[in-house]
Amino acid sequence: MSDIVEEIRTAYGRVGITLDRPATYGTYYRLLCAGCGKMVGNVGDRLLPDMAAALVEQQFDLYAIGGLGCPCGHQRQVTRGLDAARWEAAQRRYGGVA
Amino acid sequence: MSERVTGDMTEIDEAEARGRTELWPFWRRVYAQGDPLPRFAPPANRAPHRFDEGDPLPEEYRGLLLKMLRHEGERAGNKSFLGFMATCLDLAEAIFPDATSRLIKAEYLAEELKHAIMFHRLAVGLERDFALKDVPYAHYAFHLPRETWADDAFFHFFVDLNGAFHARDWRESSYVPLAKMSATVERDELGHSEMGYHFLQRICETARGKTVVQHLLGKWYPAALDMFGRSDSPNVPKFIGWGLKSVGNAEIRDAYKTYVDAKLVALGLDLPDERAHRRFL
Repeated sequence: MSDIVEEIRTAYGRVGITLDRPATYGTYYRLLCAGCGKMVGNVGDRLLPDMAAALVEQQFDLYAIGGLGCPCGHQRQVTRGLDAARWEAAQRRYGGVA
Repeated sequence: MSERVTGDMTEIDEAEARGRTELWPFWRRVYAQGDPLPRFAPPANRAPHRFDEGDPLPEEYRGLLLKMLRHEGERAGNKSFLGFMATCLDLAEAIFPDATSRLIKAEYLAEELKHAIMFHRLAVGLERDFALKDVPYAHYAFHLPRETWADDAFFHFFVDLNGAFHARDWRESSYVPLAKMSATVERDELGHSEMGYHFLQRICETARGKTVVQHLLGKWYPAALDMFGRSDSPNVPKFIGWGLKSVGNAEIRDAYKTYVDAKLVALGLDLPDERAHRRFL
């Protein structure tokens, strides 16, 4: 398991998304909702160092308002637990769009 | 030999014609309005080189050509390319917004597999061992997470357009087999980019969708500009000198940026700082 893959796993784990086993020929991984197991996307293993954490961090507001993440709402719930103040701010900033 | 290849491709062309809808192929309407892409003129003082399949190639030339084709990647014998196509199928199955979009993605995949056959033939004619070489995509743009249809739309809008710009440059290529297929690859890749843009237009029709798209633009825009490599790449003068490229990374990136910026503004999006989050300036 490469360091980058571990970085990706850790970054997504924070927001309630798990990394599946390698898909296809090992370069790409499915992203699964940690709440219900549904596939919510995919990612490759050639991200640059520190990129995965930065990307997930930048997407916090989208998980918070339900613009990204599983329809079951798991990531929305997890991000609220991570940072309630930021989560509330995202609801106010994007009020009416989620 | 060439007659048989032409016949095979005619069958693919006919299948492609059967897949045509009001939307597909997306390149049709764009080219009907005129040439959508800039012209890249080679330096006037460049030594004239021209190599066809089977010609002995200078060692440096062969190395640069193979490097370029490894980067391109769309080869039937490149299992990493096929794996990447599988991720597109995965996404189309898991997060497609409607049946029409799913059908469009099926046409996209078929067309990319057509390219895989075209580049396979080119590879066999160049170096047989290369035809079955696995080359995972090295650039991070091919590995960015795609977590929504908007991510996938950005991937196509930006990354396939990168392919169209390079294919436009190949029109002037000194390697004849590449020059011959360049117009088809350019046209198709521009169509794939337009497909992504079409999806972005649909998504931006709602406030929620536009919010998501604006947010995700910050992820894709730097990657798109980074795909052209460093402006001071030491290999570029060699590529230009041998006639494998006409212009440098900075020039083609600038032309690309002008093109995408106009399209993004037309969507009502705010353009990110062009230097923010960039890794290859």
